[in-house]
Amino acid sequence: MSEAFAFLNDIVDYGPQILSGLINTLILAGTISVTGLLAGILIFRLTLSDNEIIRKSTARYISFFIGTPLIVLLFLMYYGLPQWGINFSPFTIAVIGFTLNIAAYNSRYLSAAYNGIDQHQLMAASAQGFSSRQIFTLIILPQTLRRAIPGLTNQVALNIKDSSIAFLIQYVDFFAQMQEQASLNFQYLKVYAVTGAVYLLLVSLVIFASKRLETRYAIPH
Amino acid sequence: MTLLQVRGLTKKHDDVGVLNGVDFSLCKGEIKIVMGPSGCGKTTLLRCLNRLQEPSSGEIIFDGEEITAAAVDIQQVRQRIGFVFQNFALYRHLSALDNVKLGLRKLRGLSDAEATQRAIYELSRVEMQDHQDKYPAHLSGGQQQRVAIARALVMDPAVLFFDEPTSALDPLMAREVANLLNRLHDEKVTILCVTHDVTLAKNLPGDVLFLNHGRVEAEAPISELMKNHANENVRAFFEQKAPSE
Repeated sequence: MSEAFAFLNDIVDYGPQILSGLINTLILAGTISVTGLLAGILIFRLTLSDNEIIRKSTARYISFFIGTPLIVLLFLMYYGLPQWGINFSPFTIAVIGFTLNIAAYNSRYLSAAYNGIDQHQLMAASAQGFSSRQIFTLIILPQTLRRAIPGLTNQVALNIKDSSIAFLIQYVDFFAQMQEQASLNFQYLKVYAVTGAVYLLLVSLVIFASKRLETRYAIPH
Repeated sequence: MTLLQVRGLTKKHDDVGVLNGVDFSLCKGEIKIVMGPSGCGKTTLLRCLNRLQEPSSGEIIFDGEEITAAAVDIQQVRQRIGFVFQNFALYRHLSALDNVKLGLRKLRGLSDAEATQRAIYELSRVEMQDHQDKYPAHLSGGQQQRVAIARALVMDPAVLFFDEPTSALDPLMAREVANLLNRLHDEKVTILCVTHDVTLAKNLPGDVLFLNHGRVEAEAPISELMKNHANENVRAFFEQKAPSE
């Protein structure tokens, strides 16, 4: 009992740092979820280009970033770029690295959703006189986004969990603070159990929100 | 007055001719029916006329303008040609009302209130005002067809193209479509209708353009085409259709 009390006491004592780490995790996960979605939409749009060179280049981009471990990309930028005199903060590197990676995955979710759309609608829109840009923004995007909600929100959950690897490039997030706590009190089992529980809670909130979004924005079929 | 004049229209797919020199004209207020065996190029003809498919050669003069020229703003031309597709092709994420409003809002730049007013008017014209808030998935085939017609009509087109308007409908709905087309014709709407449905063709007042192997082989009222026509292909087509009529 006294051991559990001591552990809680440690957590409370270290509370401000843990909270600051949690806020950093939320800031990073929130930022990369937004930038990753926007970049994913852009990549998805390029996959529909009439220009074959653009389509092929986009396909290679997607293959490259899906096939490359994220940590390699982060290390490349964090340790590699300074050799050319280019220095970014850990946060900036994390945002750029994650965005490039997440965009590739999000574009795949959107492409899969797009393949499920009745293509006659697009021909009808052309026949009505809409431009290809209007067809994308008015017909394709609203439907693909809504159909891709499960995949896109699943990606947000992954972003929360995966953001923890940013601590390897010295970004002081929730995981980094908890690791620091564990190294101070040597209560590895308890600290990492609490760490896992907090990530589980955050991801559960995302899954809950995802279900609500799916219900609210479902396209009647 | 001629609204649409087509001369020597051809369309090739991988060197195979789908349209092999189509000539015909359509006057304002006229209704014309395009018939012919499967694969004769009916749907391709319709899609070439507003360049959803690019013709290989030939002239299309629409309202005095040659529209196959590269400099033509085809999106502007398409806004004056209503197109009702075989499977209706309504936008699945929009209600019936929003399907009809979209073109007015985004192509014509009307305010939401103006677009709503005009869309409701067009929906009532096809007796769909009571279903305006329903999504396409919640409408029957016939109801979707009517919304698609309202969506085309609301843009105040110079001509309406119909691609097989009865093929996805049961006989009762098909009869309603015939009535609706007749009503539109009475209102002086110019119509070009592709169909293989002899019953529909019989119930429409215009001439039939008989298309075979990508060429117009006959043009006459359906009653004449069905009466032991001189052209062997026309005879074969209508003899094959006759037992089911």
